[in-house]
Amino acid sequence: MAQNNPTIQAAPAVAFSGVTVRAGGVSILESVTAGVPAGSFTAIVGPNGAGKTTLLLAMLGQIAHGGRIEKPPLPDGTAPRIGYVPQKLEFDRGMPLSVMEMMTMGIQRLPVWLWTGREKKRVALELLAAVKAEHLAKRPLGALSGGELQRVLLALAVQRRPHILALDEPVAGVDISGESLLCELLEDLRAKYGLTVIMVTHDLSIVTAHADHVICLNRRVMGEGPVPQTLRPEILSATFGLHLGLAHLHLDGSRHLDCPICRDLENHES
Amino acid sequence: MNPDLGTIYNFIAQLVPLECMKMHFMQRAFVGLALLAPMCAAMGVQVVNHRMAFFSDAISHSIFAGVAIGMLLAVDPNVTIIMFALAAGLGIVAIARRGKLSTDAIIGVFLSAAVAFGLAVVSKTPSIAGNFRKYLFGDILTIDERQIAFMAGLFVVLFAFQIFGYNRMLYVGLNPALAAGHGVRVRFYQYSFAAMLGLVAVCSIWAVGVLLVTAMLVVPASAARNLARSAGGMFWWSILIGLSSSISGLLISAQPWAATASGPTIILVAVGWFVVSMVVSGVRGRFAR
Repeated sequence: MAQNNPTIQAAPAVAFSGVTVRAGGVSILESVTAGVPAGSFTAIVGPNGAGKTTLLLAMLGQIAHGGRIEKPPLPDGTAPRIGYVPQKLEFDRGMPLSVMEMMTMGIQRLPVWLWTGREKKRVALELLAAVKAEHLAKRPLGALSGGELQRVLLALAVQRRPHILALDEPVAGVDISGESLLCELLEDLRAKYGLTVIMVTHDLSIVTAHADHVICLNRRVMGEGPVPQTLRPEILSATFGLHLGLAHLHLDGSRHLDCPICRDLENHES
Repeated sequence: MNPDLGTIYNFIAQLVPLECMKMHFMQRAFVGLALLAPMCAAMGVQVVNHRMAFFSDAISHSIFAGVAIGMLLAVDPNVTIIMFALAAGLGIVAIARRGKLSTDAIIGVFLSAAVAFGLAVVSKTPSIAGNFRKYLFGDILTIDERQIAFMAGLFVVLFAFQIFGYNRMLYVGLNPALAAGHGVRVRFYQYSFAAMLGLVAVCSIWAVGVLLVTAMLVVPASAARNLARSAGGMFWWSILIGLSSSISGLLISAQPWAATASGPTIILVAVGWFVVSMVVSGVRGRFAR
């Protein structure tokens, strides 16, 4: 578990202040105010339609929003770089694009049809190795399984040496072993590069196993803070309308086999 | 002032020692196609991979409105079709980016409006119908040196764009949100691509006419996609197929035993390539199982 990670700093890497998003007269986010501590593994949880992905896309500057989203500059005065892993990459699976080409297209100006430098290939292979995907380098992107594709996307996101890594439901559609591998890789990358990880998820077993900070969202912020203190019955009830029995499990460490979240955790750990 | 291309024409006549290539209009057509085919092939890769065939159709059909306006205002239609192709391409991207309607629906509206406006003007002024026919069917054999100079300028700009922007375009085509997340200026590349496609469509209209513009873009790239195993491979296959189809189509059309229009002949040769690519792809798939 990643709780009480000493690399977390009190200063926020991202600060949401009164963020509001409306589309077609419908309110998607209402005055969201929350912070993502620098160096943390922050999970944004909530039911479907809670505005989790919208909040992430607003942070990436892809959705118009009211309020402020601040990403404090680095000590050298530059803006922090953000890596992004989408929920599900919608793309034409018949496109003849190899994993190596995908990995090199973001780090060199010269087109992939003209030349790919040896150094660029070495860097790409190194990143693929970091996510246990070096054997996929020559495979067409469209031939990858869900878990393989997510690992390659993770390597692509890390390629920019981001300060903040944003992941939108990265384990949706990935089997249990793939999910476990992806989360372990995230922990490794976070330790290696000192990243701030922001993950949108509705899988509470991942939150309890890996996150150290959580934002409970259901159009508004229902609760925010360290995981054990935040996943309390009243906050979960307000967020999901369910799972009233979860918080005590994680506070006292016991497991109840009649609770679906406990079963999730047992499966995850086995 | 028209550029002096005499040296190039003489070189082509020596390079292709066929009787038909002694004709000046054939030499001009050869130069025109040598410039146009690689441009269509390169843009076609993105049109096919980004599923934009309908988009290119809308841009080419926008010339109906361009010709009509040119006729009404007594302005050279070659100028107005360039303006309308650019306006259609950029307009579709601008509205699609607002995301309230599906891109297909927006393209459909643009296409219908352009064709309806053109036909309305023709029905009111039947004397300009002949001009429409010229753009509808095109003819590479009637291309002039001003048009060749325009193509040469576009060739330089387009391949500079392909060299410096190809990887970024690949990113945008794969997934715009992912590209934006990784620092690619998605809006700039979407608008630049639309503008470039509009200008290539205008050149294609001069060569093969409105009806076959999409074929010039889509057929070589589709055949290339069947043959290639990588993005780089698809680009080179598309150039090879586009260029070889255009030159051989031109030469075949000029043979007495064929005596066909050059535009359709070029497309038929490219379709031949596509059939071969389907066979190769099928055989490859069977061995892969």
